[in-house]
Amino acid sequence: MRDIISKSFGWAYLIFIYGFIFLPVAVLVLFSFQDGRLPVPPFNGFSTQWYEAVFADRKLMAALGNSFLVATGSSILACLLGFLAAYALARYKLPGSALQRGLLIAPMTVSYLIIALGLLAVLNAMKIPLSLWTVGIGHVVINLPLCFAIIYASMGDHHINIERAARDLGANDLKVMALVTAPMLMPSILAAFFLSVTFSWDEFIIAFLLSRFDVTLPVEIWSMLRSGLNPKTNAIGSLVFLVSVAVLLVLELALFGRNRKT
Amino acid sequence: MTTTTLEDRERRKAWGFVAPALLWTLAFFVVPFVYMAALSLWSRQGRDIVHVWNLDNYLRFFSESALLRGLTNSLEITITVTILSVLLAYPLAWIIAERVPKRLQRMALILAILPFWTSYVVRSYSWLLVLSKGGVINQALMGIGLIAEPLEIASNRTATVIGFVHFFVMLLTLTIYSNLIQLSPNYRRAAADLGANAFQTFWHVILPLTLPGIMTGAFLTFVLCIGDYITPQILGGNNELVLPQIIMLQIGRRADFPMAAALSIILMLTVTAAYVLCARWLRIERA
Amino acid sequence: MTRSFEGAAARRFFMSTIALGALAAGQANATEELNALVWCDHTDPALIEPFETANDVKVNLKEYEGTGAGISILEQSQPGDWDVMVIDAVDVHRVIDMGVLGEMPANALPSADLFPELVMNDNNTKDGKTYAITEKFGYNTISYDKTKVDPKDMEDLSVIWSDKYKGRIALYDYYLPMIGLVQLGLGKKTADLSDADMPAIEEKLAAMKAASKQVSDVVSSQTALATGEVDILVGGGEWITASLAKDKPNLDWTVPKQGAVRWAQSIAVMKDSKNPDLALKFVQYILSPEGQARLATSSCYWGMPTNQKAGEHLDGEQKKALRWDDQAGYLKNTQLYPIPSAELDKKMQDAWTNMMQQ
Repeated sequence: MRDIISKSFGWAYLIFIYGFIFLPVAVLVLFSFQDGRLPVPPFNGFSTQWYEAVFADRKLMAALGNSFLVATGSSILACLLGFLAAYALARYKLPGSALQRGLLIAPMTVSYLIIALGLLAVLNAMKIPLSLWTVGIGHVVINLPLCFAIIYASMGDHHINIERAARDLGANDLKVMALVTAPMLMPSILAAFFLSVTFSWDEFIIAFLLSRFDVTLPVEIWSMLRSGLNPKTNAIGSLVFLVSVAVLLVLELALFGRNRKT
Repeated sequence: MTTTTLEDRERRKAWGFVAPALLWTLAFFVVPFVYMAALSLWSRQGRDIVHVWNLDNYLRFFSESALLRGLTNSLEITITVTILSVLLAYPLAWIIAERVPKRLQRMALILAILPFWTSYVVRSYSWLLVLSKGGVINQALMGIGLIAEPLEIASNRTATVIGFVHFFVMLLTLTIYSNLIQLSPNYRRAAADLGANAFQTFWHVILPLTLPGIMTGAFLTFVLCIGDYITPQILGGNNELVLPQIIMLQIGRRADFPMAAALSIILMLTVTAAYVLCARWLRIERA
Repeated sequence: MTRSFEGAAARRFFMSTIALGALAAGQANATEELNALVWCDHTDPALIEPFETANDVKVNLKEYEGTGAGISILEQSQPGDWDVMVIDAVDVHRVIDMGVLGEMPANALPSADLFPELVMNDNNTKDGKTYAITEKFGYNTISYDKTKVDPKDMEDLSVIWSDKYKGRIALYDYYLPMIGLVQLGLGKKTADLSDADMPAIEEKLAAMKAASKQVSDVVSSQTALATGEVDILVGGGEWITASLAKDKPNLDWTVPKQGAVRWAQSIAVMKDSKNPDLALKFVQYILSPEGQARLATSSCYWGMPTNQKAGEHLDGEQKKALRWDDQAGYLKNTQLYPIPSAELDKKMQDAWTNMMQQ
């Protein structure tokens, strides 16, 4: 009896919490098909006009491309720097390694707004013009700690013997890293990479403060929002959501499938 | 003798590997931060920044109630959000880890964090539409006759908190779940053998063991929440301002970088204080 | 097998990244570029693209909101970064004083075709030199839902601080016109606003905050009006309701008997522009009857064109939404934004921030 109560309570909770989690997304997607200018109830009817408007919007499409460039570029660099640092700190005894680890992790505990402001102030002082590059620099700053932490955490000592064996066979450090360590750590490197891409893709305040003419998607959406109510916002939001979910599922199936094989 | 030179060479190589990341962090994080700290001790007079060291910006912060209120608003909202998010996320993570069959767990978890991939800006705006007087919630509740007057849940603190909690429930479910599944079932069995009931097992065994996971998630929530500009700006209706909004006002309307820097340092110190409070639970470890 | 597949995937991924980069670079590679610091209504492709095609030029647009933000961007820029800028007409002198605006030949501008009230020589010129020209205007007044409030109540500005519509009012989040409106409501002129007026204004601001539901930017204001979250928007006008006219015919706006605040935006050429001729050409395009009609009905917000000849390029419905025929009356009964000194400006901003934190 008690079991039934606790079970039904559990189910009720699940329904409630999943409902809460999906409510804004469901409403977002629903009203992206609104036939009319206002993305609010009542729902007037089904129309795909706002999706057409999204694809016809040159600025929005450019922002999409910019976001893609910044996200992949900054994530690759963050993963590379993070991997090298993790390798050095996990495999060698360096003086002050605790301090170094702390320094590399530090940006994680600082609000993005502060990182952006600091960079903006310094760039201004050095008279460096803002561009997508400066946004990318900011995104590497926020993603480097993440990549470092994830990759460092997965560098188990049990890999050392394999690396040593490779070195005994005459491979130099770079070769060991590229051909032995990196492939062994590929799952966590990929995890770090995709997490970085996700963060960079959706990051607003750094991209907002450090960009000029070429902006990323969140900034473009923000200025779209400032120019008034419009189901186009819903349409681009839904599109980004559906595409990311599709990518996520493909990755999940690919990675999950491989996990099962080994 | 040869060993030391070998060690030296190895060490130099290691420095070579770690240097790029360290230099990047120094150049684009530490230097800007130090510059900002210095900036906060200067002040803006008319159109120029006066390079005279003083504490004026900080004194102004503590003497002007509108600015100070920014910090207290931020703290109140952030603490409410953190507590609510933990309370809502823990049961979900628990049910997924303990009640959902193993092969469905990943699916359930992914489902729970799926909305994470809608754009953050769009999600906040979507909440605004959901919560408004003519929005889905009020329409539904009035439709089934539960309420006669629409609830005032948009453009105020409630809306900001709901928007935040939505995001952080997803994040916390992830961190708490990963903590829960690392627990060995032996603990529970041992506790049961010692005569503990389900509640006692949870309270004395499971909860303490998952505390590090909770605290890591809670700290992350705190940092992200207190520094966020978008959610309060879109959902709060400017009925009160949080610290990031006040910082943005300094840059946007006044170009007052010194004041913005001082407010940022204050925000930063607040986060540091929170870190010190939960430091003993926060660690990154190698597997 | 898997390894080689991964390698191929990674290669393909990098290739596509590089291809995309090349694509983006190719796009930016137009013959000439013009950098414009503008308000959001100038970012409508329907307005900009005809100019780009006609002159084979790429116009880079950066939008900002509020003079403070604009000046802040200018201060963070290098000479030559900008070619043209759009700014509040009343604030043109602030930028002239920064020494960043260039003189425009008066005979190259269609000043004679402008509504006389919008020529605004006091604001756009200094020492007989023309630095800017007014391009668009409208009103910060009271917008409301005529099915939910009594339109007669909206004819008196004091409604904004009365309790009658408590909790159903949104305040537009821009301190200058809002404080200007309060000044009008107190029976004084915006141009006379001084330190001495501030205590009375702050008192009214507090009452307005108490009676209001929210203080919001453009989109939140629109959302609030459209969803019925609020029934009155103080500071709104045709620029909020005109584009919603089709979907929400119940939204209306009026100029109360005490008057309202008139906004006007000017466009100017920067002194250190790398391409002053093209910059002037852009200004001329924006002020041309066609450019004016497009600017008036731009996607971000609508507003009256200053050039009277733009009327030939607007259809009846557009003119109705803009209330083309009522302008004479409105112009008579509205006043410009207050023009505060730096000191007073700071005080006004503090008053506004204090109001929000109450």
